[in-house]
Amino acid sequence: MPDLPENAMRSEVAVESENAVRSEDGLPPREDSVLSVRRLAMTLTSRDGVSTEVTADVSLELGRREFVSIVGPSGSGKTTLLRAAAGLRRPTRGEVRFEGQPLADVVPGISVVFQEYNKSLFPWMSIGSNVAMGARRLPKEQRATRVEAALAEVGLTGFASRYPFELSGGMQQRAALARAMVSDPKVLMMDEPFASVDALTRGHLEDVVARLWEHSTCAALLVTHDVGEAVYLSDRVLVLSARPSRVLAEIAVGLPRPRTQRETRQTPRFAELSAEVLDYVEQAGRASGLGSPGAAPAAPG
Amino acid sequence: MRATGTLMAPRGRRPVLLLLRRRLGSWLLGLGGLALAALTWQLLSLALASSIFPTFSAAVADAWSIVTGPVLTADLVPSVLRTAVGFSLSGVAGIIIGLAVGYYRLLRELTSALFDFFRSLPTPLLVPVFIVLFGLGGTMVVAVIVTAAIWPVLINTANGTAGLDPTMLDTARVCGLRGPSLLGRVILPAVSPQIFAGLRVAISVSLAVMVVAEILGGSSGIGYFINNAQQAFQITDSYAGILLLCVLGWLFDSLFLLVERRLLAWQRGTVGGEGDA
Repeated sequence: MPDLPENAMRSEVAVESENAVRSEDGLPPREDSVLSVRRLAMTLTSRDGVSTEVTADVSLELGRREFVSIVGPSGSGKTTLLRAAAGLRRPTRGEVRFEGQPLADVVPGISVVFQEYNKSLFPWMSIGSNVAMGARRLPKEQRATRVEAALAEVGLTGFASRYPFELSGGMQQRAALARAMVSDPKVLMMDEPFASVDALTRGHLEDVVARLWEHSTCAALLVTHDVGEAVYLSDRVLVLSARPSRVLAEIAVGLPRPRTQRETRQTPRFAELSAEVLDYVEQAGRASGLGSPGAAPAAPG
Repeated sequence: MRATGTLMAPRGRRPVLLLLRRRLGSWLLGLGGLALAALTWQLLSLALASSIFPTFSAAVADAWSIVTGPVLTADLVPSVLRTAVGFSLSGVAGIIIGLAVGYYRLLRELTSALFDFFRSLPTPLLVPVFIVLFGLGGTMVVAVIVTAAIWPVLINTANGTAGLDPTMLDTARVCGLRGPSLLGRVILPAVSPQIFAGLRVAISVSLAVMVVAEILGGSSGIGYFINNAQQAFQITDSYAGILLLCVLGWLFDSLFLLVERRLLAWQRGTVGGEGDA
């Protein structure tokens, strides 16, 4: 894949420990970083001119083969953060670097799967054409075989000529995953990709994602509100505080792979980790004023 | 014939047949309604036996002689052409301006008051102005049609474009779509349901305005013909003209629906093809 320059290697500082120590100005750069978000702040302005600081100060480093999840109470700017990290929105402050280069727009190496599959798959295109949309930057002669392979990878062989409305929600989201993976990205970003499917399909889709990621060479960044899902899939889980958000905690998961729904979720370690993450999420939720009047942040309301 | 369970049958050709039969049934019923109205007209005119109210059969016979006579090329064809040209121009201009206005918020705010002003202008009012500008004839009629029929297309396209889902646009961006490919592959198809709704309204507006313009200032055309016949007390000719206009309107609309159904198949969930899911 010679489409992007190799990462400018930094040999000065190498952080090998799982729980990286945070310095005041974000994170120390890591050697294998593919994506780094540094001191990112996002202020959104609504149509009637009211601006809200959604993200105050978030830094994260994503290693080349890492799976990182971001959880947090609703309204903590997870989606906004992901869109900024994908180059879809300009940060108000701070910066995003992809492969060492500042990110100003969308780039071929980053794929995104959005929450609402019914809005992200183009309903007027067949499944095959939808997936081919993700392969537009590939050489023409490769596209057909790559689309076929991507569909096979998510178990949708034979569905290329079908239209989105003919498929179930889970199948549509698998098609969206195929579209994201068809270009062989460096980073796969997912914004609550399983939020609108039933629990059974959800578990199945989690395994599809885990397998896709294991078979690929990409890093994954997952935004979710499901603590168990974050722990099940990730190497690290970042918990965001309530709006305006900061990184409240970072939990290294370290469960052995490959993981399975039936076994991994039954282990005591999984329960422990989930409880730990949940504690932080609840702490963040309380601080937002939804629970008991505790250490409320400066933001009014 | 088994009557039970056919509706619930998950597979097979039976539901398709059923649908076809139901469609044929409603079509026949519609035809029956038309026949009933024609019969009422016929009986009423026979009972009244008035010189200003011709029978249905007389009107139809007269319409037939119009279609087969010299009036066809003198009046009917020009009217159809004017309507087609006026409608097409309205459609193209309405879609282009509507896309621009819908996509750029600044442009939308800049034009909203202006468009509201022009939209509420009664079109017949423009006929005298356009007669001065374009003279009596086809160009004037087309101009009047465009000033009326552009609005439903423009407003619908603008609303549809402004309401595009941000997630859809983000998805397109992530896929590397921009410029003409973004417009052609995502924006236009996404807005097409609203565009078609606007176009369909524009068809009937085009026909109505065409007749008005021809009555007020035409030198030929079906409107001109109806008006002339009425002033010459050839009442049957007037009625025949009106009948022909109805048929024309119905033809335009049916043709349009045929195209729409084909292009928007993905939306109705009625993609023809290899069969049931």
